[in-house]
Amino acid sequence: MSLKLPRLPEKWALTTTSRARKPASPGTPDNALAAELTRLLGDRKVLSSLPERRNYRYDAIAFGETPLAVVLPESTADVVTAVRAARAAGVPIVGRGAASGLSGGVVPLQEGLVISFTRMTRLDIFPERREARAQAGVVTLKVTEAARPHGLVYPPDPASFRTSTIGGNLGENAGGPTCFKYGVTGDYVQALEFVDEAGEVHELTRGAYDLAGLLIGSEGTLGLITEATLRLTPPPRHVRTLMAHFAEVGQAAEAVSRAIAAGAVPSKLEFMDTACVGAVEDYLHLGLPREAGAVLLVDTDGDDLETVEAERALVETACLEAGGEVRRAATDAEGDALWRARRSVSPALGRIRPQRMNEDIVVPRSVLPEVVREIRALGDASPFPVVQFGHIGDGNLHPNILFDPRTESEEAVHHLAHQIALVAIRHGGVLSGEHGIGTMKRDFMRDAVDPESLDVLRSVKRALDPQDRLNPGKILPGELEAPHAHP
Amino acid sequence: MNNDIPVREIGPQGEVMAHAVDACVHCGFCLPACPTYALLGDEMDSPRGRIVLMKEVLEGGLELELAAPHLDRCLGCQACVTACPSGVPYGELITSFRGWSEPQRRRSAFDRAKRFAILKALPAPKLFSVAARFGQYAKPLAPALPAALRSPLDLLPEHVPVMEPSAEFTPARGQRRGRVAFLVGCAQQALAPNFNAATLRVLSRNGIEVVIPEGQGCCGAAALHTGARNEALRLVRANLAAFDPDEYDAILSNAAGCGAGLKEYPAVLHGLEDEAQARAFAAKVRDVSEYLAELLASGDLQPPLPASRPLTVAYHDACHLAHAQGVRLAPRQLLKAIPGVTVAEVPEGDLCCGSAGTYNLEQPELAGQLGARKAKNILSTAPDLIASGNIGCHTQIQSHVRRSGSPVPVMHTVEVLDLAYRGEL
Repeated sequence: MSLKLPRLPEKWALTTTSRARKPASPGTPDNALAAELTRLLGDRKVLSSLPERRNYRYDAIAFGETPLAVVLPESTADVVTAVRAARAAGVPIVGRGAASGLSGGVVPLQEGLVISFTRMTRLDIFPERREARAQAGVVTLKVTEAARPHGLVYPPDPASFRTSTIGGNLGENAGGPTCFKYGVTGDYVQALEFVDEAGEVHELTRGAYDLAGLLIGSEGTLGLITEATLRLTPPPRHVRTLMAHFAEVGQAAEAVSRAIAAGAVPSKLEFMDTACVGAVEDYLHLGLPREAGAVLLVDTDGDDLETVEAERALVETACLEAGGEVRRAATDAEGDALWRARRSVSPALGRIRPQRMNEDIVVPRSVLPEVVREIRALGDASPFPVVQFGHIGDGNLHPNILFDPRTESEEAVHHLAHQIALVAIRHGGVLSGEHGIGTMKRDFMRDAVDPESLDVLRSVKRALDPQDRLNPGKILPGELEAPHAHP
Repeated sequence: MNNDIPVREIGPQGEVMAHAVDACVHCGFCLPACPTYALLGDEMDSPRGRIVLMKEVLEGGLELELAAPHLDRCLGCQACVTACPSGVPYGELITSFRGWSEPQRRRSAFDRAKRFAILKALPAPKLFSVAARFGQYAKPLAPALPAALRSPLDLLPEHVPVMEPSAEFTPARGQRRGRVAFLVGCAQQALAPNFNAATLRVLSRNGIEVVIPEGQGCCGAAALHTGARNEALRLVRANLAAFDPDEYDAILSNAAGCGAGLKEYPAVLHGLEDEAQARAFAAKVRDVSEYLAELLASGDLQPPLPASRPLTVAYHDACHLAHAQGVRLAPRQLLKAIPGVTVAEVPEGDLCCGSAGTYNLEQPELAGQLGARKAKNILSTAPDLIASGNIGCHTQIQSHVRRSGSPVPVMHTVEVLDLAYRGEL
């Protein structure tokens, strides 16, 4: 059976340069902070009117407080100026990229300053060092686009890579389908520059205390990352794609465990359950098997074709043994279409219910079948559609609770999310693989992290941000009330 | 997106808008598709940002005048619709919103006069033709004029052709295969009369008889997209009366903007007594390239003669063809059916050229930046010829290609086909 392949339109990445002008907006700065920032940075870089500020209070999952001012810096110096002004005014600061995050990470919980990095888009490629130097606002896809002519790519590939920014990826330590073999954002960071809460600029490498590692994934609570040196690699010469479908979700998890035990190291190992497949199929019409309980998508890659194909054969056998049916992508284009399906899961779920609570648990691979089945059972026993997908090769699952806030109780959603988080914790797992804790999973931190360790985290936070000015209310529980998911 | 839009107070158009807002999950996947976001890099000038602004104005939480500058900067190109995985009907939202909000807008006398002039001249080919010819003589004065007056002059071709009205009936040549009705378009008749002449020749040569029904007028898109809803309703209803869908195999347009406008009629009349009639009408509407590509697929298209030499044709996707109507393959297939023609894909092909109906006249600065970027992208393919399927894009691209000093001709897809049939390509 061959897949139906529509000609899909190519999208492009944000091409804003700092020359882009902010056309005049109505009114004058309507608060002291906005007025001061406008005086310091000029009105081109400061958004101060109400409609402008209101559009910087949300991410891809939640709405929060309207900031007092938004700064669109064009340089690290602008960030320093903004941080110092916010400090003088005694208000909190939230750093923000493209706001495609799914944990409420850039949603302001208090009135304050939002620094949006979308105009810091300078990008230099150093092919001889296999490195890229990117400002925080560079769109993820742009790095690979710029590196490719030099025979290099930037491997981390979050599903939102056409939209999301490097700064946001660093803040959340974003993963993506290739993380099983190639790792996550943090694995590609050689050095980074950040601005601390006092407005001082620091350049960090990975030596001595790995302070860069501490900043990566800290969701803007310890400092504002302004630039990073990223490691590039040559792309593998050969890629083979395979899709397997299973009658039941647990079988897919079993197949993954078998394949890895047999020695396969696929570059991508993703799964989608039946609801995801249905949602994507409604959108893309690719001919995906709607009837399947779960679908696995697997890439094997490398420079030696024989090895790549042998590895695919290992995965294929594991899938068949677990009771699955296997399809090989005949061409690169067919493989691309399958991956487009996976990348579209997240937003395509909006077709089922207008809102969702997104989990991001990681569990040991050995317990995947039980975890997936237990979550399925929790979902079936609840009034909400629960869908599962994720980077199953790493044990990183994204159970999503879909709901309609107009007719369904957010409290019940939160309760179910908590139950799902507890399944992960019970099986030796953690709360976040790549999306961060943000506000959505902050309250579960007490279940996942023992009190002594939480105290250590709090000491780290106090050391770097004594006044709790940087993205307050995120990650660490018990400091502020959780935001409403929507206004 | 959760919302409290008072649908009952607003009425059927409120339903259209609330439905679109509901569907948005604010994932941000639309951001990189949006031309104004690409130029300005801020959230208010992105589709996600505009949806939030419209929602808040509709809910009564934000003054219209505060949101308006950002909403006015939307080109309506609908690239975000193509990019949106959640299927948000953004086009219906912004069109309905403009219709709902326009009566509440506070505009300067100059602005009102300009809009009045545009909306009167565009749908009246004779008036437009006179204005264009007058403008042609005023063109040398352009540098001395204020920007608002300069922009329309900049777009006028060096030579404004004499208007040639099309025959009301064009018989099929050879074996008769079909009967279609044709919408002649407005500005197009004045600026590029050959678009229609070539369309009639190509259809007739392929055995299609073409009727130009009396009483038809402007499709209403310009009025609709600038918020002149009552004027739009009048135009829409005039066309519903002029075209009886039962009489024709298809109702054709050769201007992407007009075609998209015709296909929008059911949303415009949503909840009104003539909604069903609009549905029957819209079901028959096709872009001329779609219709011809259907003939090609069934083996009924007469093979064009080969080009006199190998030609690279850069095909420009008009937003209202590609994004609003989803027509991408058909024009490419037609061009590729001409032996010797290679179709070049334009870098950033999905990015609007900046023409966007009256946008060029209302937001000349952003339109100019997009036009220059488009011309540069098109010329990077080193084309012998540029083809597109929309008069607005045609004018904009031609103007910016000429400004960059290139002599490459810009044509309608059907004109290229017509030349091939005549052995003149």
